[in-house]
Amino acid sequence: MTLLIGALIIGLILALLALGVLVSFRIFSMPDITTDGSITLGAAIAAVLLVKGVNPLLATMAGALGGAMAGAVTGVLHTKFKINSLLSGILVMTALYSVNLHIMGRSNVPLMQATTLASFGESLGEWLAGGKTIHILGWPVAAADAAVLFLALIFTATAGAAMFAFFRTQIGTAMRATGDNAQMIRALGANVEGNIILGLALSNGFVALAGALLAQYQGFADAQMGIGMVVWGLASVIIGEALTGTRSLGMNIVGAIMGSVLFRLLVAIALRWGLNPNDLKLITALFVFAALVLPGFIERCKRRTTPAT
Amino acid sequence: MLALSGIRKTFHPGTVNEVRALRGVDLSIEPGSFVIVLGMNGSGKSTLLNAVAGSFFVDEGRIELAGHDVTKWPEHKRARLIGRVFQNPFSGTAPTMSIAENFALASRRGQSRGLGWALSPNLMQPLRERIAALKMGLEDRLDNAIGSLSGGQRQALTLLMATWLKPELLLLDEHTAALDPKSADQVIQLSDEVIQRDMLTTLMVTHSMQQAVSLGDRIIMMHRGQVLHDIRGAEKKRLRPEDLLDRFDEVRRRELLDESAAAMLNELYI
Repeated sequence: MTLLIGALIIGLILALLALGVLVSFRIFSMPDITTDGSITLGAAIAAVLLVKGVNPLLATMAGALGGAMAGAVTGVLHTKFKINSLLSGILVMTALYSVNLHIMGRSNVPLMQATTLASFGESLGEWLAGGKTIHILGWPVAAADAAVLFLALIFTATAGAAMFAFFRTQIGTAMRATGDNAQMIRALGANVEGNIILGLALSNGFVALAGALLAQYQGFADAQMGIGMVVWGLASVIIGEALTGTRSLGMNIVGAIMGSVLFRLLVAIALRWGLNPNDLKLITALFVFAALVLPGFIERCKRRTTPAT
Repeated sequence: MLALSGIRKTFHPGTVNEVRALRGVDLSIEPGSFVIVLGMNGSGKSTLLNAVAGSFFVDEGRIELAGHDVTKWPEHKRARLIGRVFQNPFSGTAPTMSIAENFALASRRGQSRGLGWALSPNLMQPLRERIAALKMGLEDRLDNAIGSLSGGQRQALTLLMATWLKPELLLLDEHTAALDPKSADQVIQLSDEVIQRDMLTTLMVTHSMQQAVSLGDRIIMMHRGQVLHDIRGAEKKRLRPEDLLDRFDEVRRRELLDESAAAMLNELYI
């Protein structure tokens, strides 16, 4: 049960990462590898501020803001300096590795003593339940875990709703149109370069928010924690599309959240069954590869087997 | 309204691909006039439209529009003054977004975009009415993705979007060339209606002699990046498609003498 709740919480936190990837990958059709650096950046900023005793909510927001700035830098490299979008992301991600080490001062910052959103949630849960455990559907559950799960759910749902609302505003629709047809939106007076910078800032803001929350839940920030995270986000987005379809933005957002949670659950089960954790990134990459290639492959096979008329 | 003076543009200068697309264009267009731009492939007519729209900056010359010197304005800033319909029906609309959302974008052409809802009630009412007036049965499909429509429908909607806020200048770049004849007729008729109703200053590029003769009040014929003929007033009214074909033939004959030969003859005899 504890394992299940842990997987759900991490899945919900990483859903914010998936939402960020949804913005860059699906709305701007730009696989943005800045993600790998900005999730660590969010964690690093939040962790350092938390150790100094800053309010956890403020520290989390500061982490998200840092990620947004990193995304904006990628956007500027891509639009103003005309560097290929993938390379812009690689440059910023690489630079962020050093930046993150400087922020943390070492490769790992533990948060055991600090007051974090997670420790706040845990004590809130125990206070509300009046004890260490509560019973959900007859199962004994640690009140602390249940409260943190509840908090994560609220956080992610709010973020998803905010993103949905944003993309229905004037500026938000203009950003979607930028990814859909840049020529059209330019002819309608929108600054395409500005929109891409803003979009990547938004995307990496969400990613860094995930990083800040993940650090607080795990109890540490680590310089290596971002490796492969963009692929993780892609996997969640792709699973989400299989679950809810791609017809509307709302469905995409709900799908990305569900996809992240489901993917984390699958991973937790696989690890429980004895999957070597070292193989996790390999399997994630293979999964995304399959998800990208299979639809086209199946389509071709179908066409081949259809008799000529 | 629109004044071009000494416009020059060379693409890929100093390379084997060098193209001197515009070689000194001077043109002045009065408010409310509907100008047809003709010319053979490569004559610079689309380049002229793109220069006005700001798709690139010109090498030399000055572009004045509605009292502003827009020569150095980027494309998205000029969009405040200019409505555009492209040749490719896919260019003017955002395919995965709904009809209503596309119009929401068009309804703020050239204005600041804030955090207000894109689909406001005071947009939807006039939108439904004006789309119903197209008689294409699209008024009940405002939530459908615009990419699911036919080229003719998309081009008609793009025209409506470009003129939703009355533009100082309307640019139509062969906007019916990619359509089947029936849709092309519909879109041309709609264009004429909108232009007459709102008295829009218009530049329209076309390949169709028929359109050139029956529409507009002035014809500009481009050749080798310059304005070769400028037909207006009574002469334009009298013009028949055959007259235009004669002028094209004349251009073609002249084309047989390439530039170096012309320069040599010039030197020898003049």
